[in-house]
Amino acid sequence: MNSPSAQFVTSRRMGVYDPIHQMSMWGENFKSNSNLNSPASLIVEDVKLDSQSEDASHGISGPSNQYDQEATKPVDKAQRRLAQNREAARKSRLRKKAYVQQLETSRLKLIQLEHELECARHQGSYIGGGLDAIHPGFPGAVNPGITTFEIEYGNWVEEQNRQICDLRNALNAHVTDMELRMLVENCRNHYFELFRMKETAAKADVFYVTSGMWKTSAERFFSWIGGIRPSELLKVLGPQLNPMTEQQSAKVVVLRDACLQAEDALWQGMERLQQTLAETVAASQLIEGSYIPQMAPAMKKLEALVEFVNEADHIREEALEQMFHILTIRQAARGLLALGEYFQRFRALSKLWATRSHEPA
Amino acid sequence: MHQAIPYSHRTNFPTTDGLSRHPRVTPTTSSNGGGSEAEDATNVGKTVSENAVMVVGRRGCCMCHVVKRLLQGLGVNPPVFEVDEKDEVAVTSQLLRIMGAVEDGQDGQVQFPVVFVGGKLFGGLERVMATHISGELVPILKQAGALWL
Repeated sequence: MNSPSAQFVTSRRMGVYDPIHQMSMWGENFKSNSNLNSPASLIVEDVKLDSQSEDASHGISGPSNQYDQEATKPVDKAQRRLAQNREAARKSRLRKKAYVQQLETSRLKLIQLEHELECARHQGSYIGGGLDAIHPGFPGAVNPGITTFEIEYGNWVEEQNRQICDLRNALNAHVTDMELRMLVENCRNHYFELFRMKETAAKADVFYVTSGMWKTSAERFFSWIGGIRPSELLKVLGPQLNPMTEQQSAKVVVLRDACLQAEDALWQGMERLQQTLAETVAASQLIEGSYIPQMAPAMKKLEALVEFVNEADHIREEALEQMFHILTIRQAARGLLALGEYFQRFRALSKLWATRSHEPA
Repeated sequence: MHQAIPYSHRTNFPTTDGLSRHPRVTPTTSSNGGGSEAEDATNVGKTVSENAVMVVGRRGCCMCHVVKRLLQGLGVNPPVFEVDEKDEVAVTSQLLRIMGAVEDGQDGQVQFPVVFVGGKLFGGLERVMATHISGELVPILKQAGALWL
């Protein structure tokens, strides 16, 4: 795009074509910016007048022009030229104003986009599983399964935030149990959807899921086989479910114990897996410059990791189901709100922490 | 905490020759069922029917370890029938025969590890976990005689 001053110069030299040409140039800009509608119409009118007068001075066709040409005197010519100059200058100033306004808008848009990008980065979205992606030996740093998961997870969180808002409003407004039931069902299905998403992602890159890479930094601190420990969650959120009947409280305690036992059993299996994997890797030898033949048993062990992640999520899912059996609809709504807000706060904490660490720079 | 009564003290289950030939299959004070001998595939059926709870799994499988640990945590000490890769087909067909054609969704495939309760197929790790968390597992084990109050 030419600078306005350059176009001003060319309009003086080139005669008829310029105003129309410049008009079409600025036309595209004006479409996107509604502020500039009034100056645009002004310029269009001026262009029409200008082209007519310039036609007359250069003697280009039209019977109406011939009458003017016969009556032309040198003084009129000079005056006309001055008028044309004034017009051209005025139009150029208007064009410059329009251009600057457009620059300002673009600048604001750019700032907004950069901000969004920063936010996305702080959320901890890494493409292709972190360090593996930058290893030169790996063909293609981007894992499509993981990229899909990241996009879906972003949408999931947005929907989650909406549902939390709905729950909060519903509880404050004291809506009927029937209406609450619908919200609770939606929330519950939403969580189950996350488990399905994680299952697919685990097949794409199990280490991405186990290390909790899609989560924010503070959430990752609590990561236990690709998510939070269900017993931990029950311990923290249990008190927020009160008032509960004694029977309910007892059932929650029993559920928590069952989760603990399940988690411990799973964890012992994980440790056994780690141990055998370490032994396998330690025993492998370099054969003709390659470790690959020896890696087959190790590879099998890594495949078992996918089952562990799935089983961990299975425990979470079952625990959630069980809570729905124990609690009333209203209690479940409160519980889901507490759960959602809990993770929201962790995400906020992560964001705060990330911006904090950037300040010294 | 439920205590598992050692197998040898149980009089209602007959001890047969088949069982004594494979001492590590007996649930006693030795908790680990692991050993170096290859298991006789045809023995699976016998051991399944003679034990209140039994786990059949691939040798060195970590999921099998998880199931075992979970059941042990409940006070059950199940025998673990470890299957070598070469015996897998034979054992699978044996188990399918035990389960009969009644079981749906099996279509000739057995997902290891698999748990038998009261001589009947109970399920894999998923079912064990699910029933444990819902609180159904312990009553089922008690009913099968694997647990005493």
